[in-house]
Amino acid sequence: MSADRRLQGLVRPYVVTGGRAHASRNTFDAVTVVIATREQVAGLSPEKKRLMELCRGGALSVAEIAAHLSLPISVTKVLLSDLVDSGHIATHAAVSHAARPDMKLLKDVLDGLRARL
Amino acid sequence: MDRQTLAMAFWVLLAIVLIAVFLLVRQHRTTRALRSRAEAAEAAARTVAEEERHLVEVRLPALAESLDHRPVEVPGPRSPEAAETHDRVLALFAHSVRQATERGEQSARATLKSMMRAVQSLSNEQQVAISAMQERHDDPDVLAGLMRVDHMNSQLNRRAQATAVLCGSWPGQQRSASALTDVVRGATSRIRDYLRVNLPAESDVAVVSRAVEPVVLAVAELLDNAARHSPPNTSVEVNFQQAHNGMVVMIDDGGVGMTVEELNRAARLLAGTGSNDINRLGDPPQVGFAVIGVLARRYGFRVSVDTRSPYGGVRAVVFLPTELLTRVSKPTMPDNAVALPPEQRRQPRPDADDAAPGRTPGGLPRRRRTQPADQGSAVVPAPATQRVPTGLAAWKRGTDSGRATTPPPPVAEGNTQA
Repeated sequence: MSADRRLQGLVRPYVVTGGRAHASRNTFDAVTVVIATREQVAGLSPEKKRLMELCRGGALSVAEIAAHLSLPISVTKVLLSDLVDSGHIATHAAVSHAARPDMKLLKDVLDGLRARL
Repeated sequence: MDRQTLAMAFWVLLAIVLIAVFLLVRQHRTTRALRSRAEAAEAAARTVAEEERHLVEVRLPALAESLDHRPVEVPGPRSPEAAETHDRVLALFAHSVRQATERGEQSARATLKSMMRAVQSLSNEQQVAISAMQERHDDPDVLAGLMRVDHMNSQLNRRAQATAVLCGSWPGQQRSASALTDVVRGATSRIRDYLRVNLPAESDVAVVSRAVEPVVLAVAELLDNAARHSPPNTSVEVNFQQAHNGMVVMIDDGGVGMTVEELNRAARLLAGTGSNDINRLGDPPQVGFAVIGVLARRYGFRVSVDTRSPYGGVRAVVFLPTELLTRVSKPTMPDNAVALPPEQRRQPRPDADDAAPGRTPGGLPRRRRTQPADQGSAVVPAPATQRVPTGLAAWKRGTDSGRATTPPPPVAEGNTQA
C-alpha cells in the first residue's frame, strides 16, 4: 500500500465534501483551468486551503488539482464548485477548439510513422 | 461371739463402707467428667454441623456470586477453628472456577479475534475497491452511492477494529504521521452522524505514525458516544488545546450527561486497569470505553469523561503527551522518512503548505508553476503521473495545453508530506 493510500484512507471523501456528491455547478471537467482570485483562506476546510494554495501559483487543471490533493476528480469538483460559489476561485474553459491540434494532422503523422517502422 | 468378734465385724464393715464411699465418689467424678465430655462433643458436633450448613447455604453461594463478578462479599466462618478445612475447600472451588472462566474467556477472545481479523481485512479490501471506484466514476449519482457505501464500510470497520482491540489485537492499519486535524476528521469518518461534528481550525500539531490509528479509534468511539447520547439536532463540538506537555482534544456534546454509576464505570474502564472481560460488556455490548481504556494504556495517552460540558452534556478530554506528537512542519518527518522505502519517498507529495518555496526539505529545487510556460519546450512528464494512473490521459492533456507553466525540472522532489 503506497503512502498515498495510507494517507488517503484516513479522511474519507464524504467527510471532505460534507456528505455531498453533487457539485453545485456543472461547469467542470478534467481539463477546466482554475485560478485563485482571493488570498484570504480563513474558515476553509483543510482540503480547500490546500487547493487555494495550489491555485495561487498560477492556473491549474481540475485533474492536476485532484492528483495533488489525492482526491477523486468528482470529489474535487464538489470542492471547486463551493470555492467558485464563495468567490475564491475563477475558472477558464480549458482550450478553445481552434487551438487544439488538428486530429487529421496527428493521424497523418501516426500513419507516416507506422509506414516507416 | 464376743467383743473381739464384734470389733472385727465393725472394722470390716467400716472398711466396706469406706471402700463403697470411695468407689461412689470416684464413680460420681467419672460420670461428671464423662457427661461434660459428652456435652462438649455434642456442642462441637453441633458447631461443625452449623458451620457446614453455613458453608453450604451462605458461603459457597456468596463465593459463586462473587466469582460471577458481582459485588458480593464472602462471609467468614462462624467459628474459625471449625472451618479450617472449609477455607481450603473454598480456595479450591474459587481457583477451579477462575481457571475455567479464564480458559473460556481466552478461547472466546481467540475466536472473536480471528473472526474480527477476517472482517477487518475484508472491509479494508472493500475500502480500497470503493476508493478505486470513486476515482474511476465521474457521475455524481454514482459518487453519492459510493460515499454511502464507503461510510457504512468505515463504520463496519471501526466496529470490527474495536472488538479486535478488546480481544487483545493491535488496531492494525499502519499510517504515516498525520496532522491532528486529519486524525480527528479521520475519526469523524467512522461514525454515523459525522455531519454533526464541528471541527476546530487547523492545528500545526501532528500525531506520530504509530499512534495515529489508536488515537483515531479512541476519538471515534468518543465522538460516537457524544453523537449517540445527544439530541439529533445538536452538534458535537471538538476543540484542541495546547497543554503543558502535550495536546488536549476536547469533545463536548449537548446530551443528558452521565449518572454517577455510569461515570464510575467509565472511569474504571478508561483507566484500562480493570479486567476487560468480554463476557461482561452488557447487552447490547458497550465496548467504547473498554476499547479506549485498552488503547490509552497501551499507547500512553489519557482519556477522561468526568467533566461537565458547557453545553450540558459530557466533555470528553483526550490528553496526548508530547511523546505521541510531532510537528506538521516539513523538514522533520521522522516517522515517514523511516517508514517509506526510498523509491516511495522520492514521489512528489501534494504541496499542502509551501513553507519553503524554493527548496524541498532534502535541499532539492521545488517545482513552481508561476512563470508562463515556454511553448516550444518539451514537456517533461511530471513524476506525479505515477500516482494517478487512471487520470493519466486527462492529466497529460491538461498539462500540455491548459496551464501556463514551466516544465518541472527533471529532478525528483523530496517527500513533502506532512
